Amino acid sequence: MDKDQMEMHVSRQSVMIYMPVSMGAALAFLLAASLSGSYPLVAKIGGTVWVGLLSLIVSMPVITSRVKRHVKLQ
Amino acid sequence: MTDTVQSINLPISGMSCASCVSHVEGALKEVPGISQVVVNLGTNKASLVYDPQRAGLADMKRAVEDVGYDIPTSEITLDVRGMTCASCVAHVEGALKELSGVQEAVVNLGLATARVVYIPGVVTSSAMKRAVRDVGYEAAERSAGTDALDRERQVREDEIKHQGRNLLIAGTIGMIVMIGTFYDMLGPLKSLVPEFLSYKWVIGLLTTPIVFGPGRQFFSNSWRGLKHGVTDMNLLYATGIGAAYGIAVINTIFPKAGFGGEGATFFESAALLTTFIILGRWLEALTRGRTSEAIRKLMKLQPKIARVVRSDGREEEIPAEEVEIGDLIQVRPGEGIPVDGMVADGYSAVDESMLTGESLPVEKKIGDTVIGGTLNKTGAFKFNATRVGKDTALAQIIKLVEDAQASKAPIQKLADWVAGHFILGVHMLAVAVFIFWFFFGYQMFFNPASSFILSPYKLGEIGVFGFSLLLSVTVLVISCPCAVGLATPSAMMAGTGKAAEYGVLFKGAEAIENASHLQTIVFDKTGTLTRGEPSVTDVISNDLLDSSQSLILRLAASAEKNSEHPLGEAIVHGAQKWGLILEDSETFNSIPGHGVVANVAGQTVLLGNRKLMQENEVDFTALMNQAETLEANGKTVMFVAVDGKPSGLIAVADTLKEYSVEAIQRLHKMGIETVMITGDNQRTAQAIAHQVGIDRVLAEVLPQDKAEEVKKLQALGKKVGMVGDGVNDAPALAQAEIGMAIGSGTDVAKETGDVILIKDDIRDVVTALEVARATMRKVKQNLFWAFIYNSLGIPVGAGLLYPFVSVIISPEIAGLFMAISSITVTLNTLLLKGFKPTIRLKEQHHLIPVSVPAGD
Repeated sequence: MDKDQMEMHVSRQSVMIYMPVSMGAALAFLLAASLSGSYPLVAKIGGTVWVGLLSLIVSMPVITSRVKRHVKLQ
Repeated sequence: MTDTVQSINLPISGMSCASCVSHVEGALKEVPGISQVVVNLGTNKASLVYDPQRAGLADMKRAVEDVGYDIPTSEITLDVRGMTCASCVAHVEGALKELSGVQEAVVNLGLATARVVYIPGVVTSSAMKRAVRDVGYEAAERSAGTDALDRERQVREDEIKHQGRNLLIAGTIGMIVMIGTFYDMLGPLKSLVPEFLSYKWVIGLLTTPIVFGPGRQFFSNSWRGLKHGVTDMNLLYATGIGAAYGIAVINTIFPKAGFGGEGATFFESAALLTTFIILGRWLEALTRGRTSEAIRKLMKLQPKIARVVRSDGREEEIPAEEVEIGDLIQVRPGEGIPVDGMVADGYSAVDESMLTGESLPVEKKIGDTVIGGTLNKTGAFKFNATRVGKDTALAQIIKLVEDAQASKAPIQKLADWVAGHFILGVHMLAVAVFIFWFFFGYQMFFNPASSFILSPYKLGEIGVFGFSLLLSVTVLVISCPCAVGLATPSAMMAGTGKAAEYGVLFKGAEAIENASHLQTIVFDKTGTLTRGEPSVTDVISNDLLDSSQSLILRLAASAEKNSEHPLGEAIVHGAQKWGLILEDSETFNSIPGHGVVANVAGQTVLLGNRKLMQENEVDFTALMNQAETLEANGKTVMFVAVDGKPSGLIAVADTLKEYSVEAIQRLHKMGIETVMITGDNQRTAQAIAHQVGIDRVLAEVLPQDKAEEVKKLQALGKKVGMVGDGVNDAPALAQAEIGMAIGSGTDVAKETGDVILIKDDIRDVVTALEVARATMRKVKQNLFWAFIYNSLGIPVGAGLLYPFVSVIISPEIAGLFMAISSITVTLNTLLLKGFKPTIRLKEQHHLIPVSVPAGD
């Protein structure tokens, strides 16, 4: 596997992990906001997007580098 | 071959025959995971097939070294563009270290370089450049000498221009956005400002080119990094600017959407945040280059032209780099000396201060060495080139300073690690802050009358989402650890450069850090505290005879005129210093282990030790008390008898160097314990120690045991520095926390030790410690300023004080504070430029006429 192929492989595998993770965090926020009070819909959606975005930013580099290490070991 | 098996060609050095081949092959085959080994003596390479999961390069290297061979490494320096913070440093280092064949990678943010130690053939420079590019930065191989200087200057000027242009755009439009935002508060000035500037959509239109023009760099850089799994400061900025701008756009286009409406269109936050961040970048680019001025100054010393005298007597001007060893070079008054050499004709005084720190011009006559890069003052002379190109003293010094500046102190590694992991932590904190204010804080503490710090802008209409988002964005911006990344390298660069100005070369940032912690300094005696050459200290005449001191010295020196014995030479030099005219001896007989017998001007002169006098039945009882007193002071006494009568005594001893006492006194004032190590007997050593003011003496120590003595001091828990000549004392210099090679001259590359003192001036030990302490003080101050900003800024930015004071920090003010923090650190570092060692401030030139015994 050359470097470009490996990068592609790492990217694909990483997306499969960090997308569900960040979406899960966003959904958890949405659920909490829906259950815990009478927040306006836009606040709930805005909060969901913001939490999702920050979760993506946090999880993306961590997961990508871990997957890269794992693929290299393989 | 399966995917898990790889092949590699390793260079091997030290092989000379077929048995070497079998040794290396055998050693490598024993490494688990290596399946095939073929060693080729002709190419000095080993071809291996191995399983990377089971065998690493380190295992292979160890196996080869264990059987007495080596895998040679090379070094390359890359110029890296686009790094802005400590996390960038971690990313570039990480990318390089991931490459198979890279042994070491050290990135310097201040110099924007990466120094890579690698195994040639296993990894190439293009692979390294590609790895750096892949994580979002630009890399190019660094060229040597003035090319590198031009290139570095060009890169810096480009960055200043680039950020300056961005600042001009963002600053100008940002100012208009600001005026428009606060239109209602302009009072009488309102009439000067068109009303349409206060319309939200106009402010939005004005902010858009700031965010997508000058601000685009943050989005593109952070995206490039994210794609490869890395985060940096750009991401903090991009998230902050993006969030402020996005919400402002939504609130302008859809005011009823519930994000706070028109009262929460923070376009000015996005515009000014971008402006302030760019202001910080621009100021950093302006000031950062100034911390590496030392290296630039050194590079500028190299004259570009040399005037070579050809064999037919014709003078020809050629580029200095084309001078060859042996070329005869003409230097006129006021000209720079192009390369190192030896004076062949003429006489002059040369200013060497730029390289050695020596403030007075040095006289040069035939046979003296001259250093390339120094400045000829008065006379004209010709010299033969002895070292050219990268072998010149100047080139070696530049290399050493560059290497030191590119290295990393332990404290910096820690700071880089903290800053590198900070970004993710900050994003997690931003989530936590958002969740807290969304679910709890807003309901519990929100006050519609609250406002931003330093702003009359009220938060009245803002909703739960807008408020929580504001605090979350502010945390992102205010947490930026830019200043942490700059704190240590900028001070280290300034410190190593400042030390080089005074002829003190630190071999790395670690040397500076270690030197600042020293508690004890061990001095080798001979050649370090003393000159290492015996000289006449006392001449005593016998009062009972009609003899004078000058007569005794003249006769003794005439007898020794042709002697090659060190004591004889000392007597001859002593007589010359006294201005005595020596005569030729008519006869001369050297008696080994005793002295000499000679006939001078018709008189028989006996000069030597007691034994010589006893054997010749000369009675020295009258002078014996004085002889014993001199010996008790560690001096070597020579008895002089003229025509069989005891005429006098001449005492000879090694003399203290000019500034030994001053240096020791200064070290004591700094709280440093001083120790002298010597092979002399205890009595002699104590006598010297007493004269120089040394605290402790380690006498009768054989040269090979000096390292052991240093180890014993370290076992007492002391941080020990060793000062020696750098050649004989190499093991002790290596054993000490810091080894200082003194008086090494300008052939610095050959020197052992962590610190090289170019001049033979022991006061430079004090200079080295003072520079090291000043540098580390600066590092600590910088780290304090960097961390105090984040430590105070994060809680305030997160709204910790909001329940009590009802004000929050706006993102743009957070951005301004962040920029101020970086500038504070850089300006604080620049204060080092004014540093002067105390010894230089005093510049006392006094000879200390005390004497000590010869020998070691």
